[in-house]
Amino acid sequence: MYQEVKLELIFLLPIFLPFLTAIFLFLNKKLFNELITNFFTLNSALLAFVIAAYSFIALALDKFKPVNVELFQWISNPDISIGFTLDGLSGIMLILVTGLSFVIQLFSTSYMEKDENHCNYFVYFNFFVFSMLLLVMSSNFLVMFFGWELVGLSSYLLISFWSKKPAAAKAGNKAFVINRVGDFGFLIGLMIILDTFNTFDFYKILQNTSGIAESTITAISLFLMLGAFGKSAQFPLFSWLPDAMEGPTPASALIHAATMVTAGVFMLVRISPLLQHSKIASLLIIIFGLITALLAAFSAINQFDIKKVLAYSTISQLGFMFIAIGAGAYVAAIFHLVTHAFFKALLFLGAGAVIHSMHHEQDIRKMGGLRKKMPITASMMGIGTLAISGIPPLAGFWSKDEILASVFVNGGIYYVFWALTLGAAFLTAFYMGRHWLLIFEKDNGFEHPDVAEAPKAMTRPLLLLGIFSIFIGFINTPFFHGLEKVLHVTLENVEVTHLPKGITLVVLAVLSIGAGFTGLIIAFLLFGMELHKRIDLKKFKLESPINLVKDLSSNVLYLNKFGNLFFVSGMKNLSRKVAVVVDGMLIDGSVNFVSTAFNKSSKITSTTQTGLVRNYVVYFGLFLLLLIALFIATPLVPR
Amino acid sequence: MIQRSEKVMLEVTTDWYLTLAAILFSIGFLGMMIRKNALIMFMCIELMLNAVNLTFISASKHFGQVDGQIFVFFILVVAAAEVVVGLAIIVSIFRKQSSASVDVLNVSRG
Repeated sequence: MYQEVKLELIFLLPIFLPFLTAIFLFLNKKLFNELITNFFTLNSALLAFVIAAYSFIALALDKFKPVNVELFQWISNPDISIGFTLDGLSGIMLILVTGLSFVIQLFSTSYMEKDENHCNYFVYFNFFVFSMLLLVMSSNFLVMFFGWELVGLSSYLLISFWSKKPAAAKAGNKAFVINRVGDFGFLIGLMIILDTFNTFDFYKILQNTSGIAESTITAISLFLMLGAFGKSAQFPLFSWLPDAMEGPTPASALIHAATMVTAGVFMLVRISPLLQHSKIASLLIIIFGLITALLAAFSAINQFDIKKVLAYSTISQLGFMFIAIGAGAYVAAIFHLVTHAFFKALLFLGAGAVIHSMHHEQDIRKMGGLRKKMPITASMMGIGTLAISGIPPLAGFWSKDEILASVFVNGGIYYVFWALTLGAAFLTAFYMGRHWLLIFEKDNGFEHPDVAEAPKAMTRPLLLLGIFSIFIGFINTPFFHGLEKVLHVTLENVEVTHLPKGITLVVLAVLSIGAGFTGLIIAFLLFGMELHKRIDLKKFKLESPINLVKDLSSNVLYLNKFGNLFFVSGMKNLSRKVAVVVDGMLIDGSVNFVSTAFNKSSKITSTTQTGLVRNYVVYFGLFLLLLIALFIATPLVPR
Repeated sequence: MIQRSEKVMLEVTTDWYLTLAAILFSIGFLGMMIRKNALIMFMCIELMLNAVNLTFISASKHFGQVDGQIFVFFILVVAAAEVVVGLAIIVSIFRKQSSASVDVLNVSRG
């Protein structure tokens, strides 16, 4: 009992600590210089992480029995309260968010050095961490929705952090608006939930799924899925994420790679007891996940902005997580979320270090040959590249292999899905290999005399994340189901797709490793050895198809233009028509009618005002006569 | 006693005065309607005021009450004050257009 009460109080601390830090820094931002700001924000982040780790260990000792704290009940019927929960799922996210927040803030202190809004950056950053923890630690949909909206806000603030750049301001707006589309679906889903279950509490909802009609569950799942698509940048709603790269690179690392964009995955795993009852929703999730994974991987092939490649790669990896959810492999989805968080944060911070050393040059065509100048960054980004490509024994291999195997084991149409996922994994290895080679290896004929290794405050986080990117995969291997044990209680009533046994698993693993290696080797042949320059492309009539692929890739299959044409222009035309018909004709018309009516009638009556005194006297006399006539005609009434 | 017929003299009753007042008022009003010289119109107004005064006094006499006569004093005072203002206006009109016609002053027409 003693233990329980203590834990309940303690795990709330990391949630509100960043919030207090944000307020504290905001209030004192004129007072503090960079050093003091760094001191407070780093110590608060470290403290939050230590407490989070302590809570997680205490939870582990208690066999991951969920701990619930209800702060207060807001409305008793329907049952709406403000509460938090610490179970396996939220515990993992708690550690992940606070840990990465500390590492990335350490990196930020150097990256944001001498920025005029240095303190504001950390205010927003801490505010984001608070919002994200609110999202993941909530014990009901309402608090989750608060966090959901707040991460959108803080993401907006950080994307348009350098708001003097028009592109940054625009990108922030775009992210916010597209996220609203998803949030709209999320909100409708919440309304259906409240109508069906009369409560927002996860445990009350997720344990009472048996008596609910499948159509209702499907409706809820589909609307929540839309919310997840918006936040996690899935196929129709993904175009905001590449634009979001206008923000500071460390913020992109935490928000647009490691944590916020995975909120959709987290939420879908959270509602997995509902989701498993809806075959349609699961099928749609896996299809959209596949489209996203392939499309984003394809788009990443011919990007030249160092961060945009990583952005498309993030979208693609999020697609993998959605594939896992659609295949019922919820543990694999969370596993990939965790590993991806580490190696993608590593890659982003590495990109940040490169950008910093290159004096804010982001075009990878102007880099090349940086390996000798920045050996630590190059090797750490190499580890990240190998990890995301799925090369054993690095982190990405274990999680990606688990996803692939889980898709395969479902059978039927899922064999096709498996093959396509494998294709996406191959593309991943290819574009990541290209990315690394173009930055660090290939000689582009540019001299970089003043480029040197990034400062220690940058390389140390890189080293730390590099070590994690190698070893984090071992938390859930086919031989050691660590993550499954952590999530066991959370996913108690859920049928999780298990890995195939024996030789099938080995064959699948070999195939996935093969895809990764093939991708890397082809990337090396093309961009390391420049094979395409040695063969005569015209002889094989390959030039035009290659150019077509390049064109389609760098324009994202022209989806942005398509969306612009259909949604933006269509909406503009519609609103123009509304402006003309409703506003111009109806509203302006009625207002104008009133004014012209008065104008005309007063014109008519004003003709009696001749300005001649004699005429007025005549009117006066006439009315006098009328009065006298009335006086005479009215019979005297006796009192 | 010599019976003298004293009925020859017509008795001047209140009706006579009232009729006179009505005639004077009508003349004043007619003058207002047809004349355009500001001075004449002013005189017409005075005429009408005095017609009203006459009505008041006749009524006062008829009913044997004094309040009608008091009213007349008020009207006289107001008329005197009004003459001062009115004549000043007429003089300024005359100065402006070297005639006292009011028909030219039609700037406030609709």
